[in-house]
Amino acid sequence: MDSTAFVELLAASVRIATPLLFASLGGILSERAGTFAVGLEGMMLAGAFGGAVTSFVFASPALGLAVSALSGAGLGAVVAVATARFRADQMVTGLAVNIVAVGITSFLLRGMFNGQAPVIQLPTLASLPVPYLAQLPVIGQVLFHQPALTYAALILTLPMYFFLMKTREGLTLRAVGENPAAAFAAGADPIRVRMAAIIAGGALAGLGGAVLSLQEVGTFTDGMTNGRGYLALAAIIVGRWMPLGTMLGCLLFGATTALELRIQGWGLPVSSYVIQMMPYLIALAVLAGMGRGARLPAAIGTAFTRS
Amino acid sequence: MALRRDDAALSQDRDTITKAVDDGPVKTRRRGLRGAFVGPGGLRMALLAAAAVALAFAVTAMLILVAGKNPLLAYWALFTGAFGSLDRIAFALNKCTPYILTGVGVALCFRAKVINVGGEGQIAVGGLATSWVALNLSSLPSALLIAAALVAGAVAGAAWAACAAAIRLKRGVHEVLCTLLLNFVGTLLVSEALNGPMGELGAGFPQSPMFVDAAWLPRLLPGTDLHMGIIIAVIAVLAGHVLLWRTPFGFRLRLLGSSNSAAAYAGASFEHGFLGVMLIAGGLAGVAGGVEVLGVHYRLIEGFSQGFGFNAVAIALLAAATPAAVLPAGLFFGFLDAGALAMQREVGIPSSLVFVIQGLTMVFVLCAMGIGMKQQRV
Repeated sequence: MDSTAFVELLAASVRIATPLLFASLGGILSERAGTFAVGLEGMMLAGAFGGAVTSFVFASPALGLAVSALSGAGLGAVVAVATARFRADQMVTGLAVNIVAVGITSFLLRGMFNGQAPVIQLPTLASLPVPYLAQLPVIGQVLFHQPALTYAALILTLPMYFFLMKTREGLTLRAVGENPAAAFAAGADPIRVRMAAIIAGGALAGLGGAVLSLQEVGTFTDGMTNGRGYLALAAIIVGRWMPLGTMLGCLLFGATTALELRIQGWGLPVSSYVIQMMPYLIALAVLAGMGRGARLPAAIGTAFTRS
Repeated sequence: MALRRDDAALSQDRDTITKAVDDGPVKTRRRGLRGAFVGPGGLRMALLAAAAVALAFAVTAMLILVAGKNPLLAYWALFTGAFGSLDRIAFALNKCTPYILTGVGVALCFRAKVINVGGEGQIAVGGLATSWVALNLSSLPSALLIAAALVAGAVAGAAWAACAAAIRLKRGVHEVLCTLLLNFVGTLLVSEALNGPMGELGAGFPQSPMFVDAAWLPRLLPGTDLHMGIIIAVIAVLAGHVLLWRTPFGFRLRLLGSSNSAAAYAGASFEHGFLGVMLIAGGLAGVAGGVEVLGVHYRLIEGFSQGFGFNAVAIALLAAATPAAVLPAGLFFGFLDAGALAMQREVGIPSSLVFVIQGLTMVFVLCAMGIGMKQQRV
């Protein structure tokens, strides 16, 4: 592999990591406040659907993005009410809404267009080179020749860090995830905080889905997220619930997928199915390698009730 | 003196353990689902499940309205599609079979607070191993061939579950994540086999050659497709019931599900229980995969296991992690699936509606269980 191919690979990794990054930043919000984010997969799928169909019908990617965030937040609201308000099991509720998302998107895709799934073809969002910075050697190619949403995701990591670690609201959110009783005693409403965190996280995951349908592929197909929500979940653990570390986790999984696409082109004697297993196997290997070092937010998985 | 102290401690442990079994979940429902299921509160659970299903149908009706269709028409087509004729009932019973088999295993896992959502991968590798035996040992007499093929499926499914269990126990990665990620690997393994050594040349679709007749599961009802898998499924339900309520291992599972500390005191190690129940669940899922290829497709095809694993989770949940209740819950989801396919063919309403009904049912059951939990003190 020569150097230009390598730079291209890095650039592709960053691009492919974008949907994961949006989703896992959303997942951090939810998990830091004490709710497992297993529903990320469904929220991404809902966002991918809402974004693609809206852009297709109204020919407006901006409107598509807004609707994708709303779709993700809507599914997030279901998780929020079920887990925070009704104390439903977080893991299984997440799985349940993932199934609901598969069903609703597939049903509406046909149902809204008289029983026939329409052929959705959208122009994918083009890359926007940043003036001057794009001229930099290597870094310019890798970081500053990307589509708009990729910049947005990378930049969002910083405010997310400051929000979580340096603001009062972020402290409250983390307190609710560590010790809701103490947060309650200090005047916060853990149920409300958790619901807000899950819904905001859903909106971000929805945007992640839109990145997939609007920026990467330019269409919507049934179940197109194909496990990316679970990889985002793994990235959060790799990053130990910190935005910057999680970004690295996403880039790692992005690189795996980018490499997967390249290897198929090189004509190595490895079957494409074995290569497709790589992101999942590497995620497993990384998680297993980290072992028990990962410390979850203390109150994650538990229900909170007043009284 | 020491002896007396031991006696006292022992009697205290015994109290703890008895209590853990009687009302443990009320005290230790820290992790939601993981503690919510001890004690066969039969009628109450059945009513709750029925209410959840009814609510899911009601909400889904609104979705059908949004799509501009008549929900009553859709549900009527669903019903007649499932029960309309003997053929349809036979088709639906075949659909139920893998769900029930896998559901029993998942129910046992849930009972021990193990959230095994790896059914899909375990079914996939089970079907793969069964197919390998059916294709390569095809000279065996029929009964022996079928038995060997299904045992191979069970072993492969159990081995796949053991991978997840090993990562969980040795490296502390949560079983939900291990099993989910291994699902993708398992289904890709089937694709890999079908595009490589086990594929049929020139088929145009990733599938294996057809098995010899001797490997096909015998039919139960002449003139219909109903195969003997449903009998295996009913046996699995009975075995699961006996295992859970009548054996020391089942007792340990219930103990683990209600209180880790009491279980440890009683000498029921978490590791053994976890590994044991994962092996059982994986084995049952592997058999489910085997039954599906030997009874329905007569060959291995790509994607044959799609959605089965999550179905099993929904079924175990609806059955309140009680093996006996997996039978009605599995029948319900199987008939729902079969009816939906007919509904799509006949009135053009997409069958993916089933996923909505299924997912919503799960959400409602979970909410009802959550409300039923004794509130945690602050």
